[in-house]
Amino acid sequence: MTLPKDIKNSGSSSPHDTRNYTNHNGEESKESEENSGRLDEIIKRENDIIQLIRQGDDIMTLNDGADNEDFGTALQASRHNSNMSPRRINDMDLLQDRFDDVIRLFHNDESARSPEKLAQRSRRQSVDEGNKNTAEEDIDDKFVLEDHQSRSKEFYDNDIHDLKEVIPPENFSHVVGDIYRSSFPRVENFDFLVKRLKLKSILVLIPEEYPAENLEFMEKAGIKLFQVGMSGNKEPFVNIPSDLLTKALETVLDPQNQPILIHCNRGKHRTGCLIGCIRKLQNWSLTMIFDEYRRFAFPKARALDQQFIEMYDDREIKQVASANNWLPLQW
Amino acid sequence: MPGPHTINKYIPPLNFSPVISTEVSLYRSGYPMAINYSFIVDQLHLKTVVYIGDKADLLPEYASFLEREQITFVHIPMDSCRDEGINERIDEVLRMIVNVDNYPMLLHSNKGKHRVGIVVGIVRKILQGWSIASIYQEYGLFSGGMKDETDLEFITMFVSHLETYKDKLPKFVRM
Repeated sequence: MTLPKDIKNSGSSSPHDTRNYTNHNGEESKESEENSGRLDEIIKRENDIIQLIRQGDDIMTLNDGADNEDFGTALQASRHNSNMSPRRINDMDLLQDRFDDVIRLFHNDESARSPEKLAQRSRRQSVDEGNKNTAEEDIDDKFVLEDHQSRSKEFYDNDIHDLKEVIPPENFSHVVGDIYRSSFPRVENFDFLVKRLKLKSILVLIPEEYPAENLEFMEKAGIKLFQVGMSGNKEPFVNIPSDLLTKALETVLDPQNQPILIHCNRGKHRTGCLIGCIRKLQNWSLTMIFDEYRRFAFPKARALDQQFIEMYDDREIKQVASANNWLPLQW
Repeated sequence: MPGPHTINKYIPPLNFSPVISTEVSLYRSGYPMAINYSFIVDQLHLKTVVYIGDKADLLPEYASFLEREQITFVHIPMDSCRDEGINERIDEVLRMIVNVDNYPMLLHSNKGKHRVGIVVGIVRKILQGWSIASIYQEYGLFSGGMKDETDLEFITMFVSHLETYKDKLPKFVRM
């Protein structure tokens, strides 16, 4: 038996660096990695097209592939260019076919077409441009509320919330005892969080506003929200402040707050730093701490995150923890 | 001789992670070596170790460690999910898992990637009802992003014929 393609592709971290993709189509890259299968396909085909174009005697220059409308028009125009050799027309037909595929793939999400969404995108884009002046932010670090909300809507619209199976959030794992880690929980994960984990609290490590549907769910389920907003380690300019992490650890280690779920956006970097510090409190060797960090951050492990874990001064948290009898942590 | 840094540090085995921590504790890892023993003894307080792998002979130091700590050791021979009679052997592992008397339990293979990944995937699917996408994601975490399609298909298609006693079922199991 063969598995449906979308199932095979979903749920894994995308093997290529998403940042490359940003060069071509900035806004799409911020869509979730759940669509990574589709994105991978788009990127592959787009690369094919670019390859074909490069082979074809510089008939046209792609600015950077970002402006698809113009690309399409240019393509139409060049197809009917009488000066072109037959071979090249064949190439061009092929090109048009593939181009149509790409466009179809881009737009099979209906909401992508709506003017509202387009407006959101352009707003986001201008924010991005503003950010470029400061430090480059990895797209993994940025929580985009609109994306989160549109995915929640999709989930409710599709009327599939009566599932028999449970869906843990991506990058979910037990850490130790009643401490768990994951990426940003979405509506389809709520059942898992409340029925299986029986969460008492959630600690979020992003500075952005928490989405309304999550807040509503937590209120209903009686789950408390703690927010310690930190930006990711933007190499090499911005670092996570140690005192923020100490504050986060105080929340996590307090048994009154457990079972607790720790998450940031992707559950890779900020969460990874925090878990690394928990492992330090468990007296793990640095090698194995980093091994675990890299497993979850794959394929985007950051040297500075690991440096942060190594340098983190745990004297203060150890004092607090020992005073409260939180150590040693119980599996 | 261990250096100054290793003396007071715990070194978990390769790819170590908790799988279940409810009223029972199930852990996964690669093959525990001497350097990992103090971690296992001080932290995990194991009752059972299930080794899913191809090495028929126990490392002597491992054998004496298990004896010293009075840990029950079960070897389920397995090379890959293409083995003959693999379903029965996976059922044998599951039989250990659905009995509360065997916990705390460590499930290990050699590297803690693929073979343990298959069994954990099946636990997630059959005993816990996780979605297939989440199961694949977890498998990918521990296999370093390498997805063996055969393994994933095996997890997806696996059907257990296990019969068990209800009163021994751990709470995490939902039927």
